[in-house]
Amino acid sequence: MSWIIILWSMNAAACLTLAGIYLLVWCRQRTDWAYFVLSCSAVAGAALTAFELALLEAQSAEDYAVILRWAQLPVWAVVVSVVIFVRLYLRAGRLWLAWSVCGMRTLALILNFVFTPNLSYRQITRLKQVPWWGGQSVSVPVGVTNPWILVAQLSLVLLIIFFVDATVTAWRRGDRQRALVVGGALIFFSAIAIGQVVLVVWGIIQVPFLACFSYLGLIAAMGYELSIDMLHRAKLARELAASEADLQETRERMELAANAADLGMWMWDVARDDIWITDKGRMLFGWGASEKLDLDRFKNVLHPEDRERVLEAIENTLRTGAEYAAEYRVMLPEGQPRWVAGWGQVEFDRDGHPVRMRGAALDITKRKQAEEQFRLVVEAAPSAMIMVNTDGCITLVNTQAEAVFGYDRQELIGRCIETLVPERFRCHHAEYRNGYLGNARARPMGAERELFGLRKDGTEVPIEIGLNPIQTAEGLLVLASITDISERKQAELEAARQRSELAHLSRVTTLGELSGSLAHELNLPLGAILSNAQAAQRMLANGETDLAELREILNEIVSEDKHAGEVIRRLRLWLQKGEVQQHSVHINKVVRDVLKLIRTDLISQNVIVNIQLARNLPVITGDAVQLQQVLVNLVVNASDAMADCDIAERRLLICTKAKDCGAAVIVSVTDMGGGVPEEKKEQIFEPFFTTKDKGMGLGLSVCRRIIDAHHGKLWAINNADRGATFHFTLPVNLSQKDGLIARSQIVDE
Amino acid sequence: MTAPPGPTVFVVDDYAPGRRSISRLLRAAGFVVAAFASAQDFLVQYDPAACGCLLLDLAMPDVSGLELQTILADKGSFLPIIFLTAHGDVSTSVRAMKHGAVDFLTKPVNDEDLLTAVRVAIEKDRALRREQAELFEIRERLATLTPREREVLEYVVAGKLNKQIASDLGTVEQTVKVHRAHVMQKMKVHSLAELVRLTQRCGMSGR
Repeated sequence: MSWIIILWSMNAAACLTLAGIYLLVWCRQRTDWAYFVLSCSAVAGAALTAFELALLEAQSAEDYAVILRWAQLPVWAVVVSVVIFVRLYLRAGRLWLAWSVCGMRTLALILNFVFTPNLSYRQITRLKQVPWWGGQSVSVPVGVTNPWILVAQLSLVLLIIFFVDATVTAWRRGDRQRALVVGGALIFFSAIAIGQVVLVVWGIIQVPFLACFSYLGLIAAMGYELSIDMLHRAKLARELAASEADLQETRERMELAANAADLGMWMWDVARDDIWITDKGRMLFGWGASEKLDLDRFKNVLHPEDRERVLEAIENTLRTGAEYAAEYRVMLPEGQPRWVAGWGQVEFDRDGHPVRMRGAALDITKRKQAEEQFRLVVEAAPSAMIMVNTDGCITLVNTQAEAVFGYDRQELIGRCIETLVPERFRCHHAEYRNGYLGNARARPMGAERELFGLRKDGTEVPIEIGLNPIQTAEGLLVLASITDISERKQAELEAARQRSELAHLSRVTTLGELSGSLAHELNLPLGAILSNAQAAQRMLANGETDLAELREILNEIVSEDKHAGEVIRRLRLWLQKGEVQQHSVHINKVVRDVLKLIRTDLISQNVIVNIQLARNLPVITGDAVQLQQVLVNLVVNASDAMADCDIAERRLLICTKAKDCGAAVIVSVTDMGGGVPEEKKEQIFEPFFTTKDKGMGLGLSVCRRIIDAHHGKLWAINNADRGATFHFTLPVNLSQKDGLIARSQIVDE
Repeated sequence: MTAPPGPTVFVVDDYAPGRRSISRLLRAAGFVVAAFASAQDFLVQYDPAACGCLLLDLAMPDVSGLELQTILADKGSFLPIIFLTAHGDVSTSVRAMKHGAVDFLTKPVNDEDLLTAVRVAIEKDRALRREQAELFEIRERLATLTPREREVLEYVVAGKLNKQIASDLGTVEQTVKVHRAHVMQKMKVHSLAELVRLTQRCGMSGR
C-alpha cells in the first residue's frame, strides 16, 4: 500500500473521528447547533478526502472527469456548513454575504451538473502521471478549463470576504481570542486551499487537488477553539457548582445566625398575598410548619391594641417605600403575648406597584420585659425619679416626681430639667450638669449644699438628689432620684424642739433636786438685806447717827441685792425654755457658773472641789445653759457617787483642756466614788436608767443629747485607782480655731 | 477671852454679809455680839463661863452647825443655841431641837423673831446660870453641916419625928432637937418646908 493511500485515509479518518466527537458533544448539548454543523462539515471533509484520493488514483481521463464532477457535492457541503458554523459560532459575518456565498456555491453545483464533463473542465484530454516521493506517481488532468468555473471561484472569494468580515466584527466586539483562532484559521487555510485549487484548475501548476489537508487544518482549528470553549464551560460549571455550594453554605450560615439571633426571616408576595417565613419565624408567630400564610393570618395573631398601628406601618411602607419597622405583641395560643420587633423593605416593579416585602422579625419580649421592669422599678421607687438625657431633656418621670413637683407626666416629658430648678440656681445648673456629664458616676448631688426644687405652683421644696448615669443605646442618660425632705426637715426641727423640751424638763427636775441648795443661795443675800435694813431701822429708832455704819449697811444691802438678782438671773436662765442658743461660750466660765449654782449642795455634802482650768482655751459655739446643765449633772452625780465615802475622801476634780491642737476642748469631771460597772458604761447614757433611789434617770441621757447636738462626745471611764471620770469634748469651729492658733503663736513668740 | 459682864450673843456664820448684818442688828438691839467665820474660830476662843447665846449657821464647810452643837454638848457647855439657816429641812431641824437647840430660824429672818429668840435664849442662859449658882450655895451650906447634923437632916426631910430619929440614932430627943436647930440655922431656913425644898433642889433624898 502506498503512503498516499495511508495519508489520505488517515486524513479521512481524522475528519470522521472529529465528526463523531462533535456529534457526540451535540447530542449532549442539543441547543448548541454549532457542534452539529461542525460534525456535518467534518463528514463532508472526509468525503472530500475520499474524492481527492480517487482523483489521485484515477486511471483514465473519463474516470477523472466523473470523479471531479461528484467531488463538487462535498465541496458544496463544506462551504455551506462552514458559513453556517461561522454565523452560529462567531455570531458575526454579514447575512447577505453568507447568503451570497451559499447561493453562488449552489449555482456552481447546479452548473457542475449542467456542463459535461464538469464545471472545471470543458474537456479533459488526457491524464498526466506526475512522479512523487517514494517512487509513487499521481494522476494530474490535462484539458481545457471551463470558464464557468469562475462562478465557483467567485463563491470562494466571497467566502474569504465573509470570513474576514466575521473575524473583524468578532475582533471589534472584543471576542479577540475566538476571532484570532477561528477567523484566522478559516482565512489562512481556506486561502491556501482555494489558491491551490485555482492554480490547479487553470493548469498553472501540475499538481493534484490537495484541499482536504487544508480543510483538516481548518477543522482542527475550529475544533481547538470549540474544545477550549468546552474546557471553559466545564470550568464554569465547576465554578458554578462551587458557588452554588457557597451560596448554600451562606444561606445556611445566615439561617443559623438568624436562628441564633431569634430572627425570623420572611417575605411577603404582595400581589399573590403569600407569606413565606423561616421555621424560626413560624415558631415566633406560633404558626404550624405547613400552614399557608397570608396577610389575614398575620393580622389575626396581632394583639388587638397593636393591630391597627402595625397595619398602618405596612400600608405606609407599601405606599411610600419607607422602611417598615414596628414593635407589636403577638397573641400566642397559650401563655403571655410575645413582643416582636419587625423590620422590612418593599420592592416595586417598573410601574411602581409593590411586588414584595422582605424582612425579619425578632422576639423582643425579654427586652420589653426589662423595659417594663425598669419602668415599674422607677415607678415603684419611693422617691421621685427623673431621667434626663445629655441635652437636659426629661425622658422619664414617675408618679412621685409628679407629686413632688406638681406637674403631670405629659407636661414634664421633653421639657428641660431646668424647669424644676428655682430661678436663683438656674444659671449655674446647666454648668453643673455639663460638669457631671464629663465625670458621670453615681453620687449625691450638691453635697454640703441645700437643694430646692421648683414646683409648678411656684413654691420651692427642699430636696435631696442622687445622680446615676445610665449608658443606653440612645446615649448617656442620667437618672436622678429626688427625695422631698420637707418632712424630714420638719422632723429635724421637731426633734430639736423635743430635745430642747427634754433638756428643759431635765433642768426643772435637776432644779427640784437642787431646790434646797438654790433656796439657800437666794435666802442668804435676802437674809443679809433684811437684817441690815432692820438693823438700820433700829439704829435710827435708837437715835444713833453713825453715818459710816449706815453707809456700810446700805452698800451691803445694794451688793446683796445684786447678789440675789444674780442668783435669780441664773435660775431664770436655767429654767428658760425654747430654742437652743448658739453663742460663743468660754467653757471655763461655764465651770465657774456651775460651781456657784451648786456650791451649797457641795458644801452640805462635804464635797471638796478642785478645779484645773487651762488658760487661753478656744471659744466654742453652743448653748451656755445646756452646757451648764451637763456639768451640773456630772458634778451632782459625782457628789452623789461619793455619798458613802469618808468625808476626807469626798474630793472632786474638774479639768478643762484644749484637745486636738486646739480643734476641740475637753472637760473632765473626776470623782473618788465607786466607779461605773464596766457593763453599764454605755447603759448609763440611756433614758430612764438610774442607779439612784431618787431621780428619773434622764440626766445622763439628756447630757449625751446635748453634747451630741454640739457635735461633741460624752463618755465615762473608770479611774485606775478609784472612782470614775466623765469626759466630754466640744469641737471648736474653724474660724475660731484659726484665731486661736494665731493667738497662741503670738503667745509663743 | 474674859467673861464679859453682860450676856454676849456669839454669831458663827461662814457667809460674811449674813454674819455682819446679823451682828449689826443685834448690836442695834443692844446686845453684845461676838462674830466668828467658822466653828473652829469659835472653839478656839470659847469660854464656858461666858454667858449669852450662840447664833449658829447650819451649813458651813468643814465643821457644820450640828457638829459644833455635838462638840459643845460633849464639853458640858449649856450655852443655848439658836440655829439659823438659809434652807433647812425637817429632819435637820428635828435633830437640832432634840439636841437642845433653843430655836431653829430660817433666813431671811425677821428682826423681832430673831431678837425674841435671842432674848429667850439669854433668859434661859441666865436662869440656868442662876440655878447653878443657887445649887452651888446650897451645896456650900450642906458642906458646913457635921456628919451628925447631915444624918439628922436626912431623917428630917424624910418626915420622921424627933422621937423616932432619937430612937433610930440611939440618942435622946433633946439632942436631936439641938442638931435640928443647928441644921436650920446653917441651912439658913426658917421652916421645915423650906428645908425640904432646898434638899430636893440639890437632888438629896431623905432616909
